Amino acid sequence: MEQAPEYVIEMLHITKIFPGIKANDDITLQLKKGEIHALLGENGAGKSTLMSVLFGLYQPEEGVIKKDGKEVKINDPNDATALHIGMVHQHFKLIDVFTVLDNIILGAEDTKLGFLQKKEARKKVKELSERYGLHVDLDAKIEDITVGMQQRVEILKMLYRDNEILIFDEPTAVLTPQEIEELMAIMRGLVKEGKSILFISHKLNEIMEVSDRVSVLRKGKYIGTVNTAETTKEELSSMMVGRPVQLVVDKDEAKPGEAVLEVKDLTVPSKIHANNAVKNVSFTAHAGEITCIAGIDGNGQTELVYALSGLEKATGGTITLCGKNITKSSVRQRSFAGMSHIPEDRHKHGLVLDFTLEQNLVLQRYYEKEFQNAGFIKFGAVREYANKLIEQFDVRSGQGPITIARSMSGGNQQKAIVAREIDRNLPLIIAVQPTRGLDVGAIEFIHKRLVEERDAGKAVLLVSLELEEVMSLSDRILVMYEGEIVGELDPKKTTVQELGLYMAGAKRDNGEKKEDQA
Amino acid sequence: MSSFLKKNGTRSVLATIISILVGLFAGAILVLVVGLTSNEIGLKGAWEGISLIVAGTFSTGRDAAGALSFGFNPQIIGNMLFRAVPLILCGLSVALAYKTGLFNIGASGQYLAGTCATLFVALSIPAGSLPKLVIWLLAFFAGVLAGALWGAIPGMLKALLNINEVLACIMTNWIAANLVTWMFDISNLKNAVEGTKTGYIYKTTYGLVNVDGAWTYQDGLGVSTSKLGLDKVFPGSQVNGGILIAIIIAVIVYIVLTKTTFGYELKACGANRHAARYAGIHDKRSIVYSMAIAGALAGAAAALYYLSGNTELYWSVYQKLPTEGFNGIAVAMLASCNPIACIFTGLFMSAINLHGLQLANLTAYNEYITDVIIAVIVYLSAFSLLIKTWISGRKKVDKPKPATDGKPNPGKGGAA
Repeated sequence: MEQAPEYVIEMLHITKIFPGIKANDDITLQLKKGEIHALLGENGAGKSTLMSVLFGLYQPEEGVIKKDGKEVKINDPNDATALHIGMVHQHFKLIDVFTVLDNIILGAEDTKLGFLQKKEARKKVKELSERYGLHVDLDAKIEDITVGMQQRVEILKMLYRDNEILIFDEPTAVLTPQEIEELMAIMRGLVKEGKSILFISHKLNEIMEVSDRVSVLRKGKYIGTVNTAETTKEELSSMMVGRPVQLVVDKDEAKPGEAVLEVKDLTVPSKIHANNAVKNVSFTAHAGEITCIAGIDGNGQTELVYALSGLEKATGGTITLCGKNITKSSVRQRSFAGMSHIPEDRHKHGLVLDFTLEQNLVLQRYYEKEFQNAGFIKFGAVREYANKLIEQFDVRSGQGPITIARSMSGGNQQKAIVAREIDRNLPLIIAVQPTRGLDVGAIEFIHKRLVEERDAGKAVLLVSLELEEVMSLSDRILVMYEGEIVGELDPKKTTVQELGLYMAGAKRDNGEKKEDQA
Repeated sequence: MSSFLKKNGTRSVLATIISILVGLFAGAILVLVVGLTSNEIGLKGAWEGISLIVAGTFSTGRDAAGALSFGFNPQIIGNMLFRAVPLILCGLSVALAYKTGLFNIGASGQYLAGTCATLFVALSIPAGSLPKLVIWLLAFFAGVLAGALWGAIPGMLKALLNINEVLACIMTNWIAANLVTWMFDISNLKNAVEGTKTGYIYKTTYGLVNVDGAWTYQDGLGVSTSKLGLDKVFPGSQVNGGILIAIIIAVIVYIVLTKTTFGYELKACGANRHAARYAGIHDKRSIVYSMAIAGALAGAAAALYYLSGNTELYWSVYQKLPTEGFNGIAVAMLASCNPIACIFTGLFMSAINLHGLQLANLTAYNEYITDVIIAVIVYLSAFSLLIKTWISGRKKVDKPKPATDGKPNPGKGGAA
């Protein structure tokens, strides 16, 4: 390819092969000076591998890397740093008990006769933070500051090392909506000062908002680069997934049947503070309907689900499932009564990560006659069942049923859990944040399956923090605020703005309006 | 698919063999250094020492010319099998706990509890009042049960109060040491007549008999584990049927852990207690079961050792916890906690111990050099994961990272 001086970094025809997979297959990525260039792809598309090649962690089998038009060899991260390439990792590399300043200078300390010269470092960091609007408290310890501020520390670390090319690896995954806004502003400020940014993400909204150009990878292959201004979310998602994706859930009118789950005056104590996390909550979930509990994180949804599923004890109220009082039942008794549960935290509750996929797929059923005989596991039956679910739910993994769950991608781990819970074919499905951290393809799939279950007459209780998901998937919305249900909304008749007011506690159903902005 | 598993298995075995070889090599160097710096030993003596360290199991003493001779020595092999019994069972105790997510450092205490219960039952039932086999079984299961109870204590502390099982085990070890010493101290089981030795408890071959209204012990009337003909194969050795029982128990542990729903529950609970709870498994009960079974295995180790009929307990050694419990950790780690592999690593550890005795008997060295070898092997077995990585070479570096799933990590500060 002709040398084009307008590019600060060029990765040309990079191929990286791991035993069994071509993680990067002839990928070309060109970063212009002063642009925000998004790198888009599903989980496992090869984004991380490509960045590791740029960072010197892997050596490519083929291809060259050029900096300012000159070919360079990057053998390890030190070479990358020398070329002024810096990276903010998804999981921050900070020392919790060090101060912000210590973390920023760590590894690039100025010393005189072996003594740290912090004064100059402090001056330089202060200058940088003012110039780019990165507000941090230099003397605070990392463990005491917010995630958003920790991220600003990571950015300052790069700037302190005079990095020109900044890589952001899924930077918004850990941030609140306000912090995301702030980060976008910071990124725009950085490119204005002449820095170039590579922005790795699979969130289309953010890419549309902040980036100048987008390069798309799919299954290790380079699909193309487009100007953000000339493309749409729909085009990007079909480039990423390889087929048109429905960003809006397609479903018919719900036909609510009889009540499956009835909750009355449920009260659950909080583990964090002295008050109750769930206060006198009552609601009903009907067959053939997706009932959604919406709300901002930490308003009692987690505790509510723990109480419903039997992981925590409720201190008051009753839970009735299919006409049976299960308030005091054990987890397994609730299972027998007809409850399946897609848990909020797939690593904590959903999977035994060190077990194989097939062992995880029978986690809720291993004791059934189908899978055991006199206490001995029927390995043939387990394998057959696992293969059936893997095929039906398109769970992808390196070695099929004997893959260790830990080595699977997040999306496929989630699909495995969804497969396990849906296939139990029980009248109630509690789905807590079923699509958290997944890419559009997997989200579409899981939404489709939940709607199918609804149409098959199941009661689906969805708990979600994502406004879009709440609006598009549910048939009925219950908004939770500070442990109470403050409103019941019809998604067809309400707006995101109105829902937001309920979620923020500014509005509630019993007529009272705390702060009417609508 | 299966080729990967095979490869992983092969790597574990290779890592173990490398640990053993490096341990032996370190021992050989030590023998050489000691030999060359000692006036009495010299290079020839050092060479003899090294050959005994490596092949002491096949030593047949010295020939007429005074040179070391090697060959099939049924006595040593028989003794190796006998001494392997408590090592295999303590290894299983540690391995089972480890497979279910617990570190059982309390095998020593459980072993002592088993020792105490077995000896009390075997020596307290009057000879002839019950068939010998029944007394043997009662004594054996008393030891198993006592070990189980002693293991269940840290299990319950962990399950109910979330107290780290390592701390609880260390404390129960010392409680057992003092409790057992005290119980023997106030008992009538102390043998004051056998030869010139004092402070010993009767062997189980002594039977309690009533002679003219006074209770007394007589040798030969008590119980001991059946030889099952093994003494014919290995004449002159201490071997008995205990080794077969240990092997059968190892196979049972393997089957329970890998083939049953019970083992599945225990392992699920060990690997992820939260997920086990979510799936309706009683996590607390599982933890107690795991520790109780581990304790039962250590108790069985003690029962089989002391029921052999040729072992006696020096009761006042309370400051010293039995080494079998700690060597069990080495046996389990060297076996990568595979119950079947524990049979072989137990035999190996037993052989190394005997090599040390041969060294002391036949040369001017003392047997403590084998402790150094065992120590090196234990260190290396702890590094077995690292060694496995060496074996697979650069592949580790190139291994693709599992794709990140964008799971939020709110950090300690929490979101604003």
